[in-house]
Amino acid sequence: MTIAGRRGNLARGLTLSIQLLAAHRLRTALSVSGLLIGVASVMVMAAIGRGAEQQLRERLQTMGTDLLVVSAAPAPRVAGRPRQVSVQTDLKADDAIALLKEIPAAAATAPAVNRTAVLRWEGRNRPTGLSGTTADGLRIRNIRAGSGRLFDDHDDRGQQRVAVIGPAVARSLFAGVDPVGRTTRIGVLEFEVIGVAVPRGIDPLGSDLDDFVAIPFQTAIRRVHNLNYVDAIYVQARSSAELGRLEDDVRAILSVRLADRSGVSDAYVIQNQAMLLRAERGAVGALNQLVPAVSGIALMLGAIGILTVMLISVRERTREIGLRRALGASRRNIRTQFVLESGMLGIAGGVAGAIAGVAASAIAAYFGDWPLVIAWDAATIGAASSFILGLVIGLVPAERAARLEPIAALRAS
Amino acid sequence: MIEALNLTKSYRRGTMMTDVLKGVSFRVRKGEFVAIMGPSGSGKSTLLNVLGLLDQPDSGSYLIDGIDYARTDDETRSAARSRMIGFVFQQFHLLDRASALRNVTLPLLYSETSRDGTARAERALEAVGLTHRKNYLPSELSGGEQQRVAIARALINDPPLILADEATGNLDAASGAEILQILRTLVDGGRTVVLITHDKEVANHADRVLSFSDGRMTGNEIGLRGGRDAGEGAAARP
Repeated sequence: MTIAGRRGNLARGLTLSIQLLAAHRLRTALSVSGLLIGVASVMVMAAIGRGAEQQLRERLQTMGTDLLVVSAAPAPRVAGRPRQVSVQTDLKADDAIALLKEIPAAAATAPAVNRTAVLRWEGRNRPTGLSGTTADGLRIRNIRAGSGRLFDDHDDRGQQRVAVIGPAVARSLFAGVDPVGRTTRIGVLEFEVIGVAVPRGIDPLGSDLDDFVAIPFQTAIRRVHNLNYVDAIYVQARSSAELGRLEDDVRAILSVRLADRSGVSDAYVIQNQAMLLRAERGAVGALNQLVPAVSGIALMLGAIGILTVMLISVRERTREIGLRRALGASRRNIRTQFVLESGMLGIAGGVAGAIAGVAASAIAAYFGDWPLVIAWDAATIGAASSFILGLVIGLVPAERAARLEPIAALRAS
Repeated sequence: MIEALNLTKSYRRGTMMTDVLKGVSFRVRKGEFVAIMGPSGSGKSTLLNVLGLLDQPDSGSYLIDGIDYARTDDETRSAARSRMIGFVFQQFHLLDRASALRNVTLPLLYSETSRDGTARAERALEAVGLTHRKNYLPSELSGGEQQRVAIARALINDPPLILADEATGNLDAASGAEILQILRTLVDGGRTVVLITHDKEVANHADRVLSFSDGRMTGNEIGLRGGRDAGEGAAARP
């Protein structure tokens, strides 16, 4: 037979297979459903895993992967009871300046006093976190102005009574009114709201990063709290790769400075923000590692579904096969027809699964509240391996069909 | 036209080997109408498989137009079947969802020349007198008409040999007679017809009747219609 003739046969076989599959819609749908569910669930799993990972990465970005937070240590207990003061008061604003000056890996530092306060406006009260820090402190913590402006070093030096509020506070305290330019009271002092920050979401520990009010550092320690120490120092690394060395340097310098100051060299803790995410990231990683194993199992189950239906189909169509043989079909024609049919069931299941997978991923992302990631590679691999599995698994029923004895089938009444 | 020489075939049933054909020899001339008659279990089905190039004999030769197909592979036999043999069955075996015309074109799927399929199918339907029914579904046709569609299907590749397996077995007397008449017309047109039947009445419409029993040929007689010179076509019995 010529090549052209063979190609013609393949095209005719393909047409025939499509017609036959279309004629047996229920059987086709049933045999395809296993692969459909398999491919779709693999995609959803991959989508969930990657969505979670991307969400983590976005959060890391928000919080800063290059950030160390030096906090005053919780007060040591004396004979099982806390001392009178609840925090060590040994960290000073000078330490922030010294750290920046002495550590080359530090890009910026900022002191901060973090307390709670109640904001008042037109008879409404809103308790929130009150953070007094420098303009650098805002920048290090990724606080940007969504509307209005941030305070600057000039506001800080002048101990201005200006405030930047988080979007959560803006929403609940000023409900519908533009807060910029309004005057709010913190304790007995009146502050002008000069800006509302861009939303940052929730951090891995569950605190709302949009629920805060920030005021200039000098205003906070002189006019609001009257303190001579700070609660925290933010240290930003030049690059996140240098974070480990930066932490060592910070420890070395602080230990000396604190020992000189009070004799206690370790009255502080250093939080490496990136570390907080490590456990969560591990869980996500485990989920992602499961995907190939689960896909393998799902595809195998789908393929077994096709095999079963194809074998039943051969038995049901004994007479049709006999007729085709009598009308001129060779064993190879019959074999080709069944392999093609099986392969098409495979690719139909794979493609339908990919489509269902996209839809299911979108639904999962919507309800799970994570970014929508379509696992196109999983879809492609799923559909392709469905097709190949279909072809391979079709060999068994195809061989059985080709070996049938035609006349016996045709004579049975 | 066809020549069978000492054909044997056995099947394994469990551990038992059953001899189904035990050395069958006969000849059918071109343009002859031959009936193969025998009770069920006499090996008719197996013989039909071999005659129709659907299966190979274990030994012996089977020649069509001088070419021995007993040892050829399935591809060769299928191509020859498509070109040279038309099958007609007791159960018609038409596709329920396809029109008469579409049923007639079915063999073209496996034929090397499928051009002008519709025109050829229309000619085949015309030959069995069913042009006016070409767009009917099988369920809208009488039994006799369905069998005529099946004959048209057997004719579409213009084969010299028609194998009719109990072609009248499912029909009333009138329709059966009609079908036999059509087969006779085909013979008159130069084709060779082999009719497999268990019915002596039907067999008697042929020029010659070959009787089978238990895997052997037991008779070779000129039909009641008075065929032409049967003796020449028959080979010596083993």
